[in-house]
Amino acid sequence: MKVGIVCPYSFDLPGGVQFHVRDLAEHLIGLGHDVSVLAPADSETALPDYVTSAGSSTAVRYNGSVARLNFGPVTAAKVGRWLEQGEFDVLHLHEPVTPSISVLALFAAEGPIVATFHTSMIRSRTMQTAYPIVRPSLEKIAGRIAVSEDARRTVTTHVGGDAVVIPNGVYVDRFAAAPRRSAWIGTPAAPTVAFLGRMGEPRKGLPVLAAALPEVLRAVPGLRVLVAGPGDPEEVTEGWPPEVVAACEFLGAVSDADKASLLASVDVYVAPNTGGESFGIILIEAMSAGACVLASDLGAFSRVLDGGAAGAMFANEDPADLARVLVELLRDPARRRGLAEAGARRARLFDWSVVADRILAVYETVIEGRAAARFEPPARWSRFLPGGRTR
Amino acid sequence: MSELLTWVFAVLFVLVVIAWYLSYTAARLDRLHVRLSGTLAALDARLVRRAEAAVELANSGLLDGATALIVANAAADSLEAPSEHGEEREQAESDLTEALDVALPPELVAELREDPVGRDVIGRVTSACTRVQLARRFHNDAVTDVRRVRRTWTVRVFHLAGYTPMPHTIEFDDDVSALVSE
Repeated sequence: MKVGIVCPYSFDLPGGVQFHVRDLAEHLIGLGHDVSVLAPADSETALPDYVTSAGSSTAVRYNGSVARLNFGPVTAAKVGRWLEQGEFDVLHLHEPVTPSISVLALFAAEGPIVATFHTSMIRSRTMQTAYPIVRPSLEKIAGRIAVSEDARRTVTTHVGGDAVVIPNGVYVDRFAAAPRRSAWIGTPAAPTVAFLGRMGEPRKGLPVLAAALPEVLRAVPGLRVLVAGPGDPEEVTEGWPPEVVAACEFLGAVSDADKASLLASVDVYVAPNTGGESFGIILIEAMSAGACVLASDLGAFSRVLDGGAAGAMFANEDPADLARVLVELLRDPARRRGLAEAGARRARLFDWSVVADRILAVYETVIEGRAAARFEPPARWSRFLPGGRTR
Repeated sequence: MSELLTWVFAVLFVLVVIAWYLSYTAARLDRLHVRLSGTLAALDARLVRRAEAAVELANSGLLDGATALIVANAAADSLEAPSEHGEEREQAESDLTEALDVALPPELVAELREDPVGRDVIGRVTSACTRVQLARRFHNDAVTDVRRVRRTWTVRVFHLAGYTPMPHTIEFDDDVSALVSE
């Protein structure tokens, strides 16, 4: 199958959509399909050979945050050429409502189109103004995928119709096979807890964890908190009690391999995110690595954790509740093991082998529909002909 | 004189814009109808394949005799149902779903997946069922899009949809619980 995938976000920077596109493309290539990805990227960025650059991107404020996107007549021409040369059986667009190459490809494309909606946070004002413009081309999309129930709700309220929920994939085995690192393994006296994510981004919830820590440290004085992610520790820890700062170790930004090892080594992985998470891929990575997960009870997280069966949860933005559940977990190794095992089992459902099968089923359905439509007699003017009414 | 010309041009311009808009809307609607006939054909094909997979399951010897009869009967009804989508057809498909649901409780599915032949057959039935779900979802999406455009004022007043019948969503139960993991 010849598949063309369009990623609207620049490959210069890491991000959820970019990783999803990269992993999907690599998995499909592994299955023997012919895949080409079109994405914005600077000329200096080293790209895998299946990626075609759509030129360098510009930082634009859209939908309440700054995104690096790519548009304009030159880009449109480039997108058109890529489509023409690719002769794809199916075109898979990601985030088709961002002003970027996804929209340009949607305008230009003729064949079967599948689109994946990632965001759940599209502001309704943006939607109300944007939809009349893009609606006619959105009607070309034959198969809609949403990565989560929240993203699906965005589709049903704003686009109309429905979408199939297919979650993001994870290479479960890569995380399951990650070596544990002795420096990060906790002891009964000094258990370890991990936090991952940009420190300075309040939505990632580090302040919630910090507010819970004094209480936790009273119960478990030897606790070590390993904080991994980009950010300036000094800036972030300003105003924290000294004992909390002393308990934290800042690892900075970590590589994928280190991230997997960290998750495999610690006693509890805490995800105190306060919102803006449409899916929570990081939870699945942690579950794959065999970590016991403790997460805020966001809708997306609760669905990934199967309502608490595959990981513990606390009331969102409530440091007292976080402290209570975390202390319980740290004192109960059997419960931690149980949750970790349940999590590892559940993570299998999100493995790329399962997820890619479902995406391929969508491709096949859409291609089949298009092939059937091609043999229909031309209907446009037949109603003016005698007998045209019955066709 | 020149004022008259200006008016003539203005009126012509407006007419051209209206004509363009109408033909654009007609083309847009036509594209949607093509998509709709495609999704319907895909759904039909998927339903036939699901019924065939059910027949295969019934003949595989993996089910007990009575259950196999129920499944085979439902599959035959689905294959023989009138090809136009209507209540009778939808009922036949719901019945097949129910028969598969009864025939394949989760424990049996888990057991059959251990066995090489069973895994094959269950795999085919599962894949057929998920594909029916996808095809029906995509068809109903297309129906929603068509109906929304056909409700607009322009399409109704200028009769842009011609005599193409108004499409209806296809509703039947397609959820075989034991086969769908998530």
